[in-house]
Amino acid sequence: MNKWITDNLWRHVVGVLVAFFALFPLYLVIISSVNPTGSLQVSSFIPTEFSLKNYQQLFNDPTIPYLVWMKNTLLISGAVAILSVIIGASSAFAFSRLRFKGKKFGIQLLFLVQMFPAILALSAVYVIMERVYNFAPGYGLGTQPGLLLVYLGGAMGVNIWLLKGFVDSIPIELDEAAKVDGASAMQTYWQIFIPLAAPILAVVSLLSFIGTFNEFILARLFLVDMNSRTIAVGLQGFIGGQYSQNWGAFAAGSIIASIPIVIIFLSLQKYIISGLTAGSVKG
Amino acid sequence: MLESLFRNLPKVLKYVFLALTISILLMFTQSAFAKKEYEIGVFLLVSIIVIAITYLTTFSIPLKFFLPGILFLTAFVIGPILYTVVMSTYQYQTGNYISKDQSIERVQMLGIAPDEANTTFDVVVGKYNNQIAVLASDSINQRYLLSTSTEKIELSPSLVTVDENGVATKVNDFTPATGDEIVQLDFEISSTRFKYEGDYFIMLEGSSVGAVARQVLDYVKSADKFINLVDGTEYVDNGRGNYANTDNLEDVLQPGWRSPIWFSHYIDLVKDESVRNPLFTVFIWTVVFAFLTVLTQFALGLLVAMAMNKPIKGRRVYRSIFILPYAIPSIMSILVWGGMFNTEFGAINALLGTEIAWFQNATFARVAVILVNLWLGFPYFYLITSGAMQAIPSELSEAAAIDGASPRQVFARITLPLLLKIVTPLLIASFAFNFNNFNLIFLLTGGGPRNELDGQIAGATDILISYTYKIAFGSNVQDLGLASAISVIIFIIIASISLFGVRKSKVLDSFS
Repeated sequence: MNKWITDNLWRHVVGVLVAFFALFPLYLVIISSVNPTGSLQVSSFIPTEFSLKNYQQLFNDPTIPYLVWMKNTLLISGAVAILSVIIGASSAFAFSRLRFKGKKFGIQLLFLVQMFPAILALSAVYVIMERVYNFAPGYGLGTQPGLLLVYLGGAMGVNIWLLKGFVDSIPIELDEAAKVDGASAMQTYWQIFIPLAAPILAVVSLLSFIGTFNEFILARLFLVDMNSRTIAVGLQGFIGGQYSQNWGAFAAGSIIASIPIVIIFLSLQKYIISGLTAGSVKG
Repeated sequence: MLESLFRNLPKVLKYVFLALTISILLMFTQSAFAKKEYEIGVFLLVSIIVIAITYLTTFSIPLKFFLPGILFLTAFVIGPILYTVVMSTYQYQTGNYISKDQSIERVQMLGIAPDEANTTFDVVVGKYNNQIAVLASDSINQRYLLSTSTEKIELSPSLVTVDENGVATKVNDFTPATGDEIVQLDFEISSTRFKYEGDYFIMLEGSSVGAVARQVLDYVKSADKFINLVDGTEYVDNGRGNYANTDNLEDVLQPGWRSPIWFSHYIDLVKDESVRNPLFTVFIWTVVFAFLTVLTQFALGLLVAMAMNKPIKGRRVYRSIFILPYAIPSIMSILVWGGMFNTEFGAINALLGTEIAWFQNATFARVAVILVNLWLGFPYFYLITSGAMQAIPSELSEAAAIDGASPRQVFARITLPLLLKIVTPLLIASFAFNFNNFNLIFLLTGGGPRNELDGQIAGATDILISYTYKIAFGSNVQDLGLASAISVIIFIIIASISLFGVRKSKVLDSFS
């Protein structure tokens, strides 16, 4: 018994305390979301009433276009997730498998570029997209397609880098066998590489989905119109400064919005952690 | 026939796709040039040429794989980085936002003054001889005239049809414009100078009143200066994007233009106290914030990993709980924490039984920021360190234990050093990430609290990136030039930190 205490008790003490710390905000959001008063005020940490009023408000109140925000977010994040991997995969393949002049320099440059926080060039991106708006109003500043282009470009460095890392771990023997059999680079890419890399591509794609979902600063700068906002910008504007009034609906909204991300995250845990050790940090 | 079509389908699709891409890009190139966005136009044109060469010839196979990625990287990462460097050498802020030509045009347009009597006319806009014209009436003096940008005709009262107020509505050869036409020609109408006596002209104020004015500021192209025709004051290019009065350099004409000022921003960052001091304060806090964040996150992560480094009861449950803060979208949890720190209603004060105004006090706000970031980030280090602990061969600690080392000694002398060796690059990467953790600061405290009285825009929890954002997109003056200069400096710092981290992890050695 004594041995158990010295060996295991402290582990449980740490575990319970940290679990309390981790769960406290989550517990609070959940009880707020079912609290019919919808206010931020904590009258009791144990809920006395239960109601789905806040959830109903989210879907019925015309001043909160929650479903539109959700749709925008899923569309933009989905498009980034798919397109960035389509574009990134071929570059990663070339970096990992093909031989060409200046490859080393290219990889070093890519490494530097993917390190650069996109947020630092914000002013420049803003001015450039303002100019694009000047001649192509549908694709410049303030538009969803414009934001999508900026996201695609911004995610490209990290995506190619991550994909390259994963691709390097796929055995090269199959490619070489195909080459010996006389396959061209294109054939190797489509018939050998893509089927082999499919699970990895899916993972990177979901990672960019999460990344885009969590993006706030560009979305805020680009999406001014209430109905073009993403969930992040929408919910932030919704409670901005009025924590006490809209808290219940906000809590409900953030729970619903978090569910898909939590599911993706938990199901990809293994890959995300190996991506993490490769040096990327989730936003 | 059908068979050959199938065999060639990929090829056909390729050409269709290529043709589509090129024609869309061509369309954009054309409109970019039409709107005088030459830099973007040239970029698009070069892209088209490179795309065509790459995919229509066998010039380079690897390039066929690279090109889309390279183009996106160039357009939205490398291009903006270079552009940031360029912008940092410009006076580029509210009031100095447009090009020099546009600025001259605007100054000329605004550089007019009414005549001494402040003469105004009631006007009707329309067309005369196919030119935009106004039918102007001074009903008190019964004076009527028809004016275009090139000629002025005095009309005798007997020729015009007037309404009940004595305002002329009709005259021969003059067609009044309809409401739609006025809307359509609005810019042309409001910028036309209708001829009046001498160098005076009529400018419209709204669609039914015209005021007599004359040009006061005259642009002398050969000398690149403005002259005030009334008092003879001269305004010359002051080298900072404005025309300034030669006798009083503070007196500048608005609006100015974005003008190259080379390294002035960088010099200001070093020399100008009003720029340097807030930047220095913010920089120190940024480093402290990033350091404390990494330290606390790593310490808690390590503690948890150690506690869970044994198959105790409920380990899986614990693990799932610990991962949750990391799995939830961080923007949502930051906003939730923001509500929890609310002074009056927040859960933190309710839990502690205090009434602390967390975000109004610099120290409390900083504690809150670190605490929230600890919540957000400790699972990352928990995952990393528990992974790393598995990777440390157990033989080492067993051997040490046999040699009589206490568990504490084993940890301090063997486990921790090895662990640090593995996670150091990640600690550095995390430091670099938090150095620019805009979302946390912006969504939690907005950078505040700040002293309203000192007029500075930097708050107590502002880190460099949120401070830069405020400079560039703040509510009063938006100074993109200065913001770009700070961005360049941040990048140099981040790049040095990261390269240091890379050196440590020997990533660069593995390039081949």
